[in-house]
Amino acid sequence: MHSLKTHRTAAQEKWHELQSSRVPVIYVGTASCGRAAGALAVLDSIRKTLVEKQLSARIVEVGCIGPCYLEPLVDIRLPGKPRMSHANVTPEKARYLVTAYLTGDKPPVRSAIGHHGEDGSAFADKVPRFFDLPMMKPQVRVVLRNCGMIDPQEIDHYLANDGYIGFTNALRKGPRGVIEEVREAGLRGRGGAGFPTHKKWEICRNAPGNIKYLICNADEGDPGAFMNRSLLEGDPHAVLEGMLIAAYAIGASHGYIYIRAEYPLAIVHLNKALAQMRECGLLGKSIQGSGFSFDITIKEGAGAFVCGEETALIASIEGKRGMPRSRPPFPALAGLHGKPTIINNVETLGTLPNILRNGASWYRQFGILGNFGTKTFSLVGKIRRAGLIEVPLGMSLRKIIFDIGGGTAKKFKAVQTGGPSGGCLSEEFLDTTVDYESLGAAGSIMGSGGLIVMDEDTCVVDVARYFLDFTQKESCGKCSPCRVGSRHLVELLEKITRGDGEPSDLAKLHNLGETVKRGSLCGLGQTAPNPVLTTLRYFRPEYLSHVTEKYCPATVCRALLEYRVVPEKCTGCQRCVSVCPTGAITGPRAEVHNLDPSKCIKCRACYEICRFDAIAGDAIVIRSGRRVPDEQRA
Amino acid sequence: MNSAHEVTITIDNQTVAVERGLTILQAAERNNIRIPTLCAHKDLTPFGGCRMCIVEVDKMRGLPTACTTPVEEGMVIRTNTAQVNAVRQEILQLILSEHTSSCLICDEKEECRLYATTIRKAGVTTGCRYCSNDNRCELQDVATQLGLKEIGYPIYYRHLPVEKEDPFFDRDYNICILCGRCVRMCQDIRTAGTLAFTRRGRQTTIGTAFHRSHLDAGCEFCGACVSVCPTGALAEKTNKWEGKPEREQLTTCPFCGIGCQMRLQAKGNMILGSLPAEDPLVNHGQLCVKGRFCVSELVNGPERLLKPQQRTGGSCATLTWQQAIDSAAARLSECQPDDFGLLISPDCCNEDLYVAQKFVRSVMRSHHIDTAARIFYGPGFSAYLRLFKRVVPLSELEKASVIVCLGLDARYGRSVIGVELRKAIRQGARVVTIHPRRHSLSVISQQWIQSVPGTEAEILRGLVRLTGVDGASASMAHQMGRLAPQIQETAALLKDAPAPVIAVGSEFLRYGSCADILEAIDQLARNTGAGVVLLPAQSNLMGSILMGAFPEVLPAGVPSSNAARMRELGTKWGVSLPEFRAFWTSASLGSGKKLRVLYLIGEAPAQLRTAADFIIFQDIYPPDLPGQAELILPAAAFSEVDGTLVNGEGRIQQVRQAVQPPGEALADWQIICRIAQNMGAAGFDFQSAGDIRQEISTVDPELADFNDNSRKFRPLLHQVDFMSSPAARHESADMKGNGGYPLLFSVAAIEHTYRARPLSSRVEGACTLFAEGIVHVSPQDAEAAGIADNDEIILSSDHFERVLPVRVQRDQPAGFLHAVLPPGEAPNPNPLPVRIRKKDVQSA
Repeated sequence: MHSLKTHRTAAQEKWHELQSSRVPVIYVGTASCGRAAGALAVLDSIRKTLVEKQLSARIVEVGCIGPCYLEPLVDIRLPGKPRMSHANVTPEKARYLVTAYLTGDKPPVRSAIGHHGEDGSAFADKVPRFFDLPMMKPQVRVVLRNCGMIDPQEIDHYLANDGYIGFTNALRKGPRGVIEEVREAGLRGRGGAGFPTHKKWEICRNAPGNIKYLICNADEGDPGAFMNRSLLEGDPHAVLEGMLIAAYAIGASHGYIYIRAEYPLAIVHLNKALAQMRECGLLGKSIQGSGFSFDITIKEGAGAFVCGEETALIASIEGKRGMPRSRPPFPALAGLHGKPTIINNVETLGTLPNILRNGASWYRQFGILGNFGTKTFSLVGKIRRAGLIEVPLGMSLRKIIFDIGGGTAKKFKAVQTGGPSGGCLSEEFLDTTVDYESLGAAGSIMGSGGLIVMDEDTCVVDVARYFLDFTQKESCGKCSPCRVGSRHLVELLEKITRGDGEPSDLAKLHNLGETVKRGSLCGLGQTAPNPVLTTLRYFRPEYLSHVTEKYCPATVCRALLEYRVVPEKCTGCQRCVSVCPTGAITGPRAEVHNLDPSKCIKCRACYEICRFDAIAGDAIVIRSGRRVPDEQRA
Repeated sequence: MNSAHEVTITIDNQTVAVERGLTILQAAERNNIRIPTLCAHKDLTPFGGCRMCIVEVDKMRGLPTACTTPVEEGMVIRTNTAQVNAVRQEILQLILSEHTSSCLICDEKEECRLYATTIRKAGVTTGCRYCSNDNRCELQDVATQLGLKEIGYPIYYRHLPVEKEDPFFDRDYNICILCGRCVRMCQDIRTAGTLAFTRRGRQTTIGTAFHRSHLDAGCEFCGACVSVCPTGALAEKTNKWEGKPEREQLTTCPFCGIGCQMRLQAKGNMILGSLPAEDPLVNHGQLCVKGRFCVSELVNGPERLLKPQQRTGGSCATLTWQQAIDSAAARLSECQPDDFGLLISPDCCNEDLYVAQKFVRSVMRSHHIDTAARIFYGPGFSAYLRLFKRVVPLSELEKASVIVCLGLDARYGRSVIGVELRKAIRQGARVVTIHPRRHSLSVISQQWIQSVPGTEAEILRGLVRLTGVDGASASMAHQMGRLAPQIQETAALLKDAPAPVIAVGSEFLRYGSCADILEAIDQLARNTGAGVVLLPAQSNLMGSILMGAFPEVLPAGVPSSNAARMRELGTKWGVSLPEFRAFWTSASLGSGKKLRVLYLIGEAPAQLRTAADFIIFQDIYPPDLPGQAELILPAAAFSEVDGTLVNGEGRIQQVRQAVQPPGEALADWQIICRIAQNMGAAGFDFQSAGDIRQEISTVDPELADFNDNSRKFRPLLHQVDFMSSPAARHESADMKGNGGYPLLFSVAAIEHTYRARPLSSRVEGACTLFAEGIVHVSPQDAEAAGIADNDEIILSSDHFERVLPVRVQRDQPAGFLHAVLPPGEAPNPNPLPVRIRKKDVQSA
């Protein structure tokens, strides 16, 4: 076993050699977001092209760099030239790019979306710097600094980029020093609740007993959230270094990574990273001769949302059913196997190496008083530029949604922060700053970092129903308010979206929501009604129009809709007839079509095709309003 | 005034000092503040699931649950505020919306209560079909406490099928409120792990893994889950519609030698059921399936004997007691000491045993008294009783670091020992089990030495040699064959353990090699200093020794050959006792000289008809075959008498009367006394069991403690040489595979009995569990022979042929057959190599 120093020197050489490579280097983003967009086919195409054309180039697979909507991203760096990023690459486009860059006289730099070179590089030919793109410019990359830049399966890449320096510093400072540094940095738990990290650590550190555990909570289960997955896939060593630091601070001898089995790539990367750490003497007995011994086990979760809750997670690791238990005792005093246990979120751990490497005062330059540092978000929904972002705390929602995200195509309606446990905030809250307190005051939560943007085509009642349906299905069933209450909430919301709602249902929703919030055992139940409570608060008129006028303004609630053919506009092109799955639309060519509401299942196919493919363009309309009595329909 | 053990809290404006470490709920209860709860239970770990016990605590976020929050110094708690009550009401409505809560909101509710005793039983006709738990339902109590009148939510019915296939209790999870008490009971207290929460969200329910039946899922049917269920979701089949019991009586379970303390529940003059008693000495609040579920069916059977009967030829006449006693006395007066015999059940109370032996010795001037334990243990009888001198209290199981179990299956009978073993394992004890089949201990033990039936003695002798002073020779490993590594490891464990325990079960008691096995246990215990835990099937085996209910022993367990003690006893009784001569034992019944009168008390040996000219049959049920007895006397069951039993440890424990005997039935001792008095004998004018105990405690100094209630551990003092029946043929199991008999058939004794009667003959569920008279076949052998469950097979060997039904059992190893059969039906030798074939339907 060599010392870390030797490894680092070798790594730096390797890294330098890659940076000054004499052959072209091709970077392909092959994290899950890239793969979902077809990155593996692109990668395959690149390899084949190289072989066919007998070209030599190095391929580096990197993690997610952020703008997921641009995936697959392929960057090509010719020797001595800046790295050029190309977006939405298809296998064909990849073939063209590789050929053009590696054999042509004039590489097609103009089709790149950004470059990673010096400002105003002549080669880049007016293409902006990647990090100057409107989506990237307002961001601060602390936790995500290596994502998309290094090969996550190479510890050398991490080491060459100041990896494990934070840990080395930690060893020098001693456990108390580390806790002090983190206290100064003002780091708060990134899992959602924002509890000061050092406080939790101190409790555990001071707890009696010599067996203590550290658990990395990678059970990211919020629909639409993928920050932790991206970090684990793109820079696993950052999290693992964070675990070393945290374990050292609290005196843990063993660590667990509780990760959902639905993250297979992250698990592969973590397993590789753990093997590399062992090789480099970063795990095991007396790490780097410090006397600090620590090892890590990966525990795959079976996909229960509630296992993200600390006590349920502990039960799951112990081999029991993932059910939360009441606190106290808090896990920091009596957790896994009854021993003091700290559970930190992936992002919290990923932040630690940066704090220990650069110091607390460096970290405090980001964010605002009480909310120092940065936070990653997965920015999704009806947004132009969807992806993984990292911003300093205290940035306004408006800036995140409109400057980084590019706003919505249609009129902005709401943003859901904090996943299914969070709240839906309306337009008037756009200037709310993103920090734990402000979001809390607005009735939402920071959560682990899901930001779901909705436009006017989204029905908030339907959104509330969707989230409640999710939490009620994921309720562990232990406590009655959550198990039964969330079920009644869903049924009430379904009743409203079905058009059977009564005005009194809104009060029922509110009361029941409050009962579930106050009566439930764990965080899941206590926050489950948030989507209902916040939408009721901020979008009451929309609820009222559902219950009184049976009108869904967003034309989403199917039972409240009716599809009609506008006779004046229909050209009889028969495109709608061809897509209707139930034969509800009939009519000979070139004559006005007839739509039979009794057969119509409101699948929207005719509406879509009329707008995009038919001659008339808008001959089919969706109406919502006072329900037509059945006898009149006939 | 606060000590380190106390904290001061303010609860509902009352400032009180309470014990540190209590939960708010416990603290409130101790100060007579009632907080509604559904999931909390005094015996279970806090859960915090039902949320009914939420309270307000200053400086704590939200509404913590009283059942999970420990008290802290200076805590200010409010249990009854408007906010708390409003949320409780809402939550209770939510719980009830998942419960077919018709009884709580039924229009007929008030009227129904007035007639509750009759109306519920006829639930189907009166319209209430949902729940048998009316009036004993904790949900009703909480609803009343909170004054809930209506439910503001739609009611969901889960549409789950009611589970009635398993024996003893029904499960209707449609009315389950998911409080998790049963799960915690099964997992934390019983550590059986049969029940768990399954699925999530609205589909959350209670069940077994993969939704198997309880029988297949390893359920012990201890009924602990049923006892803690606050609703009618889990209900005992026999008493679910019987309503609330009126009273309870603490007593001792008479179904085996463990002697669990239990509470009999009675209503009117009927036993409704039985529950475990809080007992720190023996059963720690647990019972096995027998004590929990078999009592009411056994004692309430419609065929209970109500009046004395006389049977002559084929006719049967009812007698008055006077006529019956006269008849018995007349017959007995004609007997010589040698042509009379009395056989009494070792399940009878000490008082009965004492009076019986006093009657035999002082009135009949005979030593012809015996119990059927001699037949049960067969050739191992004397060796088994010898082991009593090594007996240690059951509490040693919990302390032991190494426990060796021999032929012990603790799934149904003796499951309280299973709980103790699992507790020991959790505390780090190493358990080794020697057993031929997969059984309840094979999964939890560190070592399962799977013996070939009949070779247990060799395994034990191997252990004896390895643990002996001179150690073992190298050639030994060879002799022990494939089990050598396990045996060596076990020997090493035993040698290192400071106080190991050997727990003796009953699997091998019918084997030809039984005596050898028991001898070897004795030697192994001597070598290793191990204590022996004996778990006899008879509830009062030790008592029958202490009372002198064998020819070989006098009261206090003194050998009958001790002439001085015999004289002393005669002086105390005011008679001169006959000199003790050669034995007569129950083993010789039917073979030797035919007796003139045989007096059977709770016994029915196989060779009845040829044993005597006149048989007096005294029991709670009539004899199985008509014409087996001339005079039938109705006896009282254990639930109808006062008395004492001595368990396998030697504790003297109380049996207490819960109901009156049915009809004219009398306690065994009362009947004997009447006969004795009729025969003109003095010294039988006892008025109560207490009078008898008084005499017992004076008859011998060693029995002086017989009248105290301390239930202390009481080792047997005297060593008596008991006579066993002649050793049965015992041949080596190597015979297996020879002569075209490829399967080894081993037979165990029927041991789940009360007064010589298999519980399965009176208790429906016991038939399913104990499967007596059914041959267990491994799936492989069943396939090879083309047989399936319930088929009849013909087992045959050179001098043995029997037709028996089969059950295909995964626990049964291939090449081996197993059955539990009555003593007379066991093959000789046992185990016996046999071949099997399916019985043709035509030939039937």
